[in-house]
Amino acid sequence: MQIVSGGVTDVGRVRTNNEDSFRILENINLFILSDGMGGEAHGEIASSMAVETIAKYCTEKEATDETGVTLSGSESDHLAPETRRLRNAVSQANFNIYQSAQKHPEQRGMGATCTAGWVNGSKLGIAHVGDSRAYLLRTGGLQQLTNDHSLVAEQVRRGILTPQQAEESEMQSVLLRALGAHPEVDVDTEEIDLMPRDVLLFCSDGLTRMVTEPEIAGCLQAETVPMAAAQKLVELANERGGLDNVTVIVARVEDESKGWFSWLRRDSSKKA
Amino acid sequence: MAKLSLMFENKLMKEVPIGSRPVTIGRSPDNDLPVDNLAVSNHHARVYFEGGRLVVEDLDSLNGTFVNDLRVERATLHDGDSIWIGKHHIKVDATADTALPFDSGRKTAAPKINETMVLDTKVRRDMLQQAAAMGERSQFSPTRVKMPTLVILSGRVDQKEYVLTNKLTVIGSSPMATIRLRGWFKPKVAAQINQRDDGYYLGTGSKIPHVNGAPIQGPVRLNDGDLVEVSGIRMNFIFRE
Repeated sequence: MQIVSGGVTDVGRVRTNNEDSFRILENINLFILSDGMGGEAHGEIASSMAVETIAKYCTEKEATDETGVTLSGSESDHLAPETRRLRNAVSQANFNIYQSAQKHPEQRGMGATCTAGWVNGSKLGIAHVGDSRAYLLRTGGLQQLTNDHSLVAEQVRRGILTPQQAEESEMQSVLLRALGAHPEVDVDTEEIDLMPRDVLLFCSDGLTRMVTEPEIAGCLQAETVPMAAAQKLVELANERGGLDNVTVIVARVEDESKGWFSWLRRDSSKKA
Repeated sequence: MAKLSLMFENKLMKEVPIGSRPVTIGRSPDNDLPVDNLAVSNHHARVYFEGGRLVVEDLDSLNGTFVNDLRVERATLHDGDSIWIGKHHIKVDATADTALPFDSGRKTAAPKINETMVLDTKVRRDMLQQAAAMGERSQFSPTRVKMPTLVILSGRVDQKEYVLTNKLTVIGSSPMATIRLRGWFKPKVAAQINQRDDGYYLGTGSKIPHVNGAPIQGPVRLNDGDLVEVSGIRMNFIFRE
């Protein structure tokens, strides 16, 4: 599938450092986003370590799969090999961050979220830990493809809080899962079959806490150039206060067929 | 001091304080709260404090223990709850020196947090345990898993019913669709169902689905028993046990 993408990260209006990191590997359609946490510059270290580890793991030769952290289990057997590999890459990133924090006492407590998507053929594989999110915009509707691993989201899932209460909660920043906290981490995986004109969005909580989902959907529909859409969303988050670092990756699946009347359009585009 | 008041048709039958020892409820006279009714088992249920929370536990009774209409095996009690056993009910007064309910507890326990943090294992376990105990109240029984299911009532599709297992379920003629529409001129994506934290949301595709006869405006959370109609397909959304 032909995918066009763009990504933007911004420090926001309040923070002085940007702890978010992202990478787009356009040649293999791999998208990685990570939101770091920890004092000093350690959040940045954690999130860039996450992103780099995953990018390396997924691009290196197959050999890594045999030696790397493996999580086998019957529930994962239906997953595509790339999705499994992506999940293992996230596990590896977790281990690297954890180990680094063990070696360097000043890094104690550092951690990161990670939401990564890898498109192979028409299949999108997602590996996810934390409260960054992946969304799919399809036929105008925004679908959330990840579950937040935050305390409030868990309380919503258990029926203790309503989504509205969760949004107002002071506990929004409390995560139940993150990379680097423990030597092993439970990585969520999800697979989605993509269709032409689907738009993927990966974002840190700096976007979703500032901008509502209908606004995000509207922005993605209005601006079809991925890079421009990502910039607009970051601007919108900053207009609303920009309380946190904000990172946005937008990836758009191009139409495969040009349609019956493509020769007409091609002509008109030449004139323009 | 927390106390339990045994009521029968709005008449107070007996009142007992809850101390460190469990309060037992049942037909046999050796119970702290004897309930003289054939629908009540000899040793029917007990109420006690556990980790600062007030808990009711059914002792494998024949006719069950109900907290505010829900049958429970074990549930956390809150001030003002009613435990129903047969035709009797027991009012729960958990005021004064008992544990704080979860809501106020978490506000006093944790100051406002701006920085993202990960709960360490112990705090996390405690909070989740509290959360789980709260969750027990809202579910019929925590041991039974409810599967969200679409039962097809009419229309041409490839199965009679579909259990929703993915984050995203597509209804359409696309080969990627979970619920495959058959026939001419069916849209590739007629509608989609997104599993979110608080439930399953039906959203539009290239068609606007109807829920219980009315067209949806934006994503709508589906409730047990909802009638969904889209692109010539009629189906029931239910939670199957």
